[in-house]
Amino acid sequence: MAEPDRPFSFRGRSMAARDGETLLAALSRDRLPLLRRSLQYHRPQGPFCGIGHCAGCLVRVNGRPNVRACRHELGPGDVISTENAWPSPDWDLLGAIGILAPRGVDSLHGLRRPAFATPLYQRLVRRLAGTGEPPTEEAARAIAAPALERAAEVVIVGGGDAGRAVATALAARGVRPLVLERTLRSTPIVGADFVPATTAVFLPPPSEAGDPRFTLLAFREPGQGMRVTARSVVLATGGYDSSLLFRGNDRPGVLSADAALSLTSDSRRPPFRRAVLVGGGARAAEVLERCGNDVEAVVAPGEIRPAVVGAANELAIPLYPRSLLLGVRGRRRVRSVQLKSRGGGASTTIGCDAVILAHRRVPHAQLFFQAGASMEWRSDPGAYAPKVRPDGVTSVPGLYAAGSVAGLAARDLAGHAQGIADAIGGNGSSNAPTFAPLLDERPNELLGYYRELLRTRGHGRWTACACVDVLVSEVEKAVRSGYRGIEVIKRYTSLGTGICQGRYCLPDALLVLSLLEDRPPFEVGYITQRPPVVPTPLAALASLPSPSAEVVP
Amino acid sequence: MTFSRDSYRTVVVGAGIVGLFTAYHLARAGGGPVLVVDRGFLSGGGSGRNGGGVRQQWETRGTVRLARESVEAYRRFGIEFGFNIWFRQTGYLFLAENESELARLRNVHAVVASEGLASHVLDAAGVARLVEGIAPGATVGGTYLRTDGTLYPFPVVWGVYEAARSLGVEVALGVEALGVEVRDGRVAGLITSKGPVATPTVVNAAGGWSGDFSRRSGLDVPNVATRHEILASEAMKPFLDPMVVRASDGLYFSQSMRGEVIGGLSLPHRPGTSRGPTSSPAFLIAMARALVGLLPRLGAVGVLRAWSGYYDDTPDGFPVVGEDPRLPGFVHGNGFGGHGFMLAPATSRRIAGAVLGQPTDLDPAQFSPSRFLAPASPSTPERLQLG
Repeated sequence: MAEPDRPFSFRGRSMAARDGETLLAALSRDRLPLLRRSLQYHRPQGPFCGIGHCAGCLVRVNGRPNVRACRHELGPGDVISTENAWPSPDWDLLGAIGILAPRGVDSLHGLRRPAFATPLYQRLVRRLAGTGEPPTEEAARAIAAPALERAAEVVIVGGGDAGRAVATALAARGVRPLVLERTLRSTPIVGADFVPATTAVFLPPPSEAGDPRFTLLAFREPGQGMRVTARSVVLATGGYDSSLLFRGNDRPGVLSADAALSLTSDSRRPPFRRAVLVGGGARAAEVLERCGNDVEAVVAPGEIRPAVVGAANELAIPLYPRSLLLGVRGRRRVRSVQLKSRGGGASTTIGCDAVILAHRRVPHAQLFFQAGASMEWRSDPGAYAPKVRPDGVTSVPGLYAAGSVAGLAARDLAGHAQGIADAIGGNGSSNAPTFAPLLDERPNELLGYYRELLRTRGHGRWTACACVDVLVSEVEKAVRSGYRGIEVIKRYTSLGTGICQGRYCLPDALLVLSLLEDRPPFEVGYITQRPPVVPTPLAALASLPSPSAEVVP
Repeated sequence: MTFSRDSYRTVVVGAGIVGLFTAYHLARAGGGPVLVVDRGFLSGGGSGRNGGGVRQQWETRGTVRLARESVEAYRRFGIEFGFNIWFRQTGYLFLAENESELARLRNVHAVVASEGLASHVLDAAGVARLVEGIAPGATVGGTYLRTDGTLYPFPVVWGVYEAARSLGVEVALGVEALGVEVRDGRVAGLITSKGPVATPTVVNAAGGWSGDFSRRSGLDVPNVATRHEILASEAMKPFLDPMVVRASDGLYFSQSMRGEVIGGLSLPHRPGTSRGPTSSPAFLIAMARALVGLLPRLGAVGVLRAWSGYYDDTPDGFPVVGEDPRLPGFVHGNGFGGHGFMLAPATSRRIAGAVLGQPTDLDPAQFSPSRFLAPASPSTPERLQLG
């Protein structure tokens, strides 16, 4: 691997990155950096997701706020500073807020009296809220670029294994698809047009339209807008590794399997030496394969599958199946985890420098929802996903699902891709299918886990939503006050309204609410995810051509 | 049992801010038992979808007065209702792009100032002092009223909901009002998705769906639902105090307590409440252009989420308050356009008053349902349907 020779400045210090390296990778050579304090209580918060969704690595880059370090490919002479911590994320005096208000600040009922003081409270709270300072005009100018416009027969969103399989199958039939892939540097696909871009907004053709084309709004980092139209769209958006509720679950050192894998791609050395790996399934096996030498123990909420047991035994890694992960210790980064056997066993402490969450993979299904596809509850992993026929057909004509978001295992990808290519090629039926209204009523595996966990003393002070700093106790209080359903609890507590838009808190909140409200999770409500899929720069949107329609449907 | 009783003195359709406030005032005046039905969840309609703006700058005196009284109610809300609604009186700034727009705003200023409110006409430099980083030449001036402001809508809903319930108001969520039952030419009950309920009075406070509900009750009304879109940006440290509104395209935006830029823009949406996509590329692009054109540095800010809601528009821009002369027992509390939140506290008192048969201080030519039954409306319409 090349020597780091690209200079950049981080908090006034000169540092160097390798060519094409992300800022997070450059800062994670030995261990994960501490870049941020949480929004309200200024707890130390670490980079978590590694794939550009969570708030854990937001920094200011060249006068632009809220840039994800994991998504920023370093340019020459970049000037990076941290946000929302004083004087620094390592030593933040505002952490006193969390110490002075250990049970949280009740912004719903508090700070009302005396009435004459409210403007003062407002100025103070406003100053403490927000994340970065607003951008400079130079920063806005620097990211602006002329928009791209593309039209294609078939667009594939997602250039992972599933998207690539469909692209290959289409290319073999003489159809040249356009592939939109978010990963900063990924290998192009032969026979397909490959564009590195993040899809943000997706709309089906208007119902009365003469031109039955889908519209996608996308952007290229840092701010180039892109508008794509297509007759058929294949969504191969995959999934992401979910969070888990425990004490200190956003402490630096707690990271998703996505992050562990993306930070160790290109044979990069992991930013940990002794990680506790959480999960006993296929994803845990992937992590073991990539960085097993730096794993200290495998812990799972449920059973551990044979593949993981085998790999762990080979590396002499101890296994802790059916364990409650109670919390992590360590003030500014993870030093140990505390476990307890389920069903009332003894508690164990394992020293570690990271906790990798690989226990639950949630489908990235938001684009299906945006396009108006029928969605269904899947008890495993406990999330909503599109209704999909075995040949990838969804309820929206011209819209197909491929890969794990369609509920497929990796081994089925090739055959499935052929089916989609056939359907697009006209060999399949062009009518939208009807789906039997089957309801997956099997209990989610984590429900029983959380039932046990919520009996733990002090869990109320745990963080339910890391972006906005919402405590579990606030969710419990909302339910006690008579508010029900995920939509109302979201508005009552602000849970899920932060930078990740609920991606990392709502899947757990749905299970916890199911227990608190005593009804199945799918009755707690649908998690509405509003567009765009990821924060999209206004500059990118502003550069796009206005749609011609005079009346907005 | 969906409802705890077979009959109620009043049933309010819609558990939004207008319906809940009306039920609250009814209960306080001893007008119970009151039932509120809503087909959705609390804050699922316009009351949970608006931008939180509360202003007193209007073109007509009647509206200015309702707005001023509502502002006073919101100032007291925290103490009276126990919820912090973060009502921040940091002003509304109306921008003019040219001299003719400024002339129109001067007229607004004349009306507002004559009602005793400290409104100001600003030149371009005055605007630039209030909006840091505004593009040069973007405006020739505007009007500003410091006591206008923004609030956080959800806790208003929780506060009135809890206060109404503690006064004995029953709120049934997930119950759709299908129409009224008429006997001897007057309201005898409400037909709901969960069965009928007897009542001599039904209040239509269904927001964007109120036109549909009136028509389902056999009343021809001119209310039109129009979809409006809105977006929120990533949060930033405070840089903007007032709500900024531009008359020409209906652009409005403010920076919330949490630091997000929240705002919308008027687009020619197709009327009706049919479920469309929540957000359109047309809106996102137009809104992004408007924001970046006015404040160029916002180009480097990300849009976090976008959503939409329904306005409940009337032809003259005034709400409809009072009993429908064609159907005794059917009381209107609707037609607020996109401004239910701004006017609800004051107007809901009058809606409750109409239910209780009290005399009203509202000009019937502007607010009464019978104004649409006369051949021509004699009053000046309220056209400041922005932000």
